[in-house]
Amino acid sequence: MSTVFAGGCQCGAVRYRVDGPVRFASICNCRMCQKALGNLFGAWAEFDADIVWTRGAPTQFRSSMKVQRGFCSQCGTPLTYQWGDGQPSLTIGSFDHPNEIVPTGELARDNRHPIVGHGDQLVAQEIGKTDEERDILAVLHSFQHPDRDTNRWPANGGRQ
Amino acid sequence: MSDEWPMPAGPLTGGCQCGAVRFRAEALHHNPHVCYCRMCQKATGNLFAALVGVRLEHLTWARGTPARFRSSEHVDRGFCPNCGTPLFYQHDESDRVGMSIGAFDEPHRISLRWQMGSEGKHPSMFDLGEVESLGTTEIADGEEATTAIRLSNNQHPDHDTVDWTPTRSTQP
Repeated sequence: MSTVFAGGCQCGAVRYRVDGPVRFASICNCRMCQKALGNLFGAWAEFDADIVWTRGAPTQFRSSMKVQRGFCSQCGTPLTYQWGDGQPSLTIGSFDHPNEIVPTGELARDNRHPIVGHGDQLVAQEIGKTDEERDILAVLHSFQHPDRDTNRWPANGGRQ
Repeated sequence: MSDEWPMPAGPLTGGCQCGAVRFRAEALHHNPHVCYCRMCQKATGNLFAALVGVRLEHLTWARGTPARFRSSEHVDRGFCPNCGTPLFYQHDESDRVGMSIGAFDEPHRISLRWQMGSEGKHPSMFDLGEVESLGTTEIADGEEATTAIRLSNNQHPDHDTVDWTPTRSTQP
């Protein structure tokens, strides 16, 4: 039995599907992943099956001779990491249901941001005290693509 | 909201992976946080966004201009148009910009304080103590592979540069 995984960028210009199972899921703390993703680490899922780009395709930045990193040119969402001409890895956060993919491996632990592995020390912030509350409240007017495939996009709105 | 939180003294510099966009922050707001909400996840392709506020008058775009995507009615998300690095979250009415912590040249200096958007919290997050470590990049990828990356690295260094030509991206 094979599960199909689908996902895409925030604006919906790029969408993909890939047959499961996930071969390997991991986070990588290396400085290339941090900087490419503007984050504490990259979170990646690898598959044996070919990725099918069902709408659009990523723009590619060659971060080094061996590696290309794909992203949506319309909204910037990082989508792929590809070593040589091998099968690209996909960013876990771009899947429609990222919680179904749990990393079991970690690369470059030596370059962990100090908080990684100690997240329980963070204080949970109630909605209403930071800027992000407004984004959450504005979800009804979100221009984010829904977490499912759509026949037509943008349906109404899209990139401003 | 208490401002008693250790913040690195400014100025701090940073930018995208390819170096087409660079910024300078004179000071940071005392709110470094991760947000697990689905909008932050999808915008960054990650398990969360890691952001720290910079007051508008403290932020300078030292090189290039970020592209913007209007993620909701009052919010822009900024990114490098050449390499895609997510750079900021900006609400129209806020007097500061939430900058991507990983885009700073020295992200390790910025201590995280809060977590939010817990409705979207990924099951593996944020305690990765049980995740198997594959070692350093050198060990995990092999010396040959990491040497190849090091010798052909197109990533902008983690400091300002006087002259820099970003490697151009390839459209699909």
